[in-house]
Amino acid sequence: MRTLYVLWKKEMMESGKNGKWIWLPIVFMIIGITQPITSYYMPEIIEHAGNLPEGATISIPTPTGSEVLAGTLSQYGTIGTLLIVLATMGVISNEKSNGTVTLVMVRPVSALQYVSSKWLGQLIIAILSLFASYFLTWYYTNLLFSSVDWLIVLQSFLIYSLWVVLIVSFTILMGTIFKGNGAIAGFSILFLGALSLVTNLLPKFMKWSPANLSEHAAILLMGQPAQDHLLLTLSFTIILCIIFFGLAVFSFKRTEQY
Amino acid sequence: MLLQVNELEKKYKSHIAVKKISFQIEKGQCIALLGPNGAGKTTTLQMLAGLLTPSSGSIQFKQLNEKDYRSKIGFLPQHPSFFNWMSPVQFLQFSGELSHIPKQQLKEKINEVLQFVSLSAVKKKRIGGFSGGMKQRLGLAQALLNDPELLILDEPVSALDPAGRRDVLSLITKLKEKTTILFSTHVLHDAEQVCDKVIMLKDGEIKWDNTLEALRKAFITSALKVHTEEPIGDKLSDLPHVEKLEFVTDSSMILFVSEGNSHSNELLSAIMEKGLTIKRFEKLQDSLEDAYMKVMEQ
Repeated sequence: MRTLYVLWKKEMMESGKNGKWIWLPIVFMIIGITQPITSYYMPEIIEHAGNLPEGATISIPTPTGSEVLAGTLSQYGTIGTLLIVLATMGVISNEKSNGTVTLVMVRPVSALQYVSSKWLGQLIIAILSLFASYFLTWYYTNLLFSSVDWLIVLQSFLIYSLWVVLIVSFTILMGTIFKGNGAIAGFSILFLGALSLVTNLLPKFMKWSPANLSEHAAILLMGQPAQDHLLLTLSFTIILCIIFFGLAVFSFKRTEQY
Repeated sequence: MLLQVNELEKKYKSHIAVKKISFQIEKGQCIALLGPNGAGKTTTLQMLAGLLTPSSGSIQFKQLNEKDYRSKIGFLPQHPSFFNWMSPVQFLQFSGELSHIPKQQLKEKINEVLQFVSLSAVKKKRIGGFSGGMKQRLGLAQALLNDPELLILDEPVSALDPAGRRDVLSLITKLKEKTTILFSTHVLHDAEQVCDKVIMLKDGEIKWDNTLEALRKAFITSALKVHTEEPIGDKLSDLPHVEKLEFVTDSSMILFVSEGNSHSNELLSAIMEKGLTIKRFEKLQDSLEDAYMKVMEQ
């Protein structure tokens, strides 16, 4: 445990030094608050766009606060996923290619401790960035639209966080297999994108898919009763994360590229 | 005995890097692992350091039954890389904590090793700005941090300029008194300067495992250079103990004598008996380099 703590502390300091602690939360916050702000000013934006025929009137119903937050979640699903992959891709491969991993592994450190420190380190940054962004967005939504109960927001955040755990676990796994950051990011995005696509195309067969998490969270925000397969999705996502993490430890140990 | 290596082997998909080698290291020895590039030196050292898992064979560290003996050794890789954003103190703190050195002791130890490798003046500077020699010395410092029973150094001087080379070699000479050292090099001269025993590797096999003295005795046929006033012709063709003759000019030649240097007087009088006037009679310098080449060609 002490070894893991020492490694993790170094991860946190390193993320501070290379600016990850700054850029990731900021970009996430921008993605988040763009949603309520653009929704709020949408009528004006369309009016100023100009090419409407004389006399045409459009009326856009003002969305509720829950709808705006659900829209934010889908923003996180695309750009947010990409950002987390980019932030996580290099954490193991960079240390392998520049050789710094050697002087760590000559110490009594196990593969499990090493990979765990990377996984935990990246997860904490990603989840905290998401948290800051989501709750800032919630604050703006309450100001500009109808207010949403904080407990529901927290629940939807927790459900959605599991998707982030999956992204980090899979990207870390790719990081132990491939050397180049391009391959790591490419395969991670390919997998997550394919999962979302298949889930959208074949909703009947993909009730277990982690890509349903944002839908579950959105339904919770709308105040509707939870879908039947919520538990299935949750437990399956957790199992997948454990599998990916276990494989990452195994593959890190096997490749021996210290 | 400190370490016993038995039938150690490392196979990769297409080739075998280390082929069933066995040797042992006694406490307090300084051993050089010699061999050309690609002989399997680094692979062997990395297996000893616990970075690579052997395909077969065993490494037994003293009477220790624990499999993980990494806390008992210090390892300096060929090209040590550090987290560039750290300072030497931060890095050694990090390494020491990973080795479970108690806090109070660690603080003193860090100052001690930095003093030893003379990096105290830059202990708060970023490692990113260090020269190759400074990094090598910092690498040595991190290897010494946990008071290792066995210090493993992979090509510690190969990448350094003459000054850095001398610094590191003199540090190793100082360390010899305190701990057991195994270091690899492809420069025979470095091994000669600090070590008493050499293990020579070629193509993953041990070619020689003994002291330097024994190497000299076993392989060096001494050579004598004779310079006479008269042309030699074939007058010297039947001298005793001479293995080979080589003409340099008409009146000078090199005699390769077997069994060391014990027969030079005998030879001198034998040459004079042949009626030659000797201008110069010279024992040529024994060359370890030649012995090394002979071992490698075996």
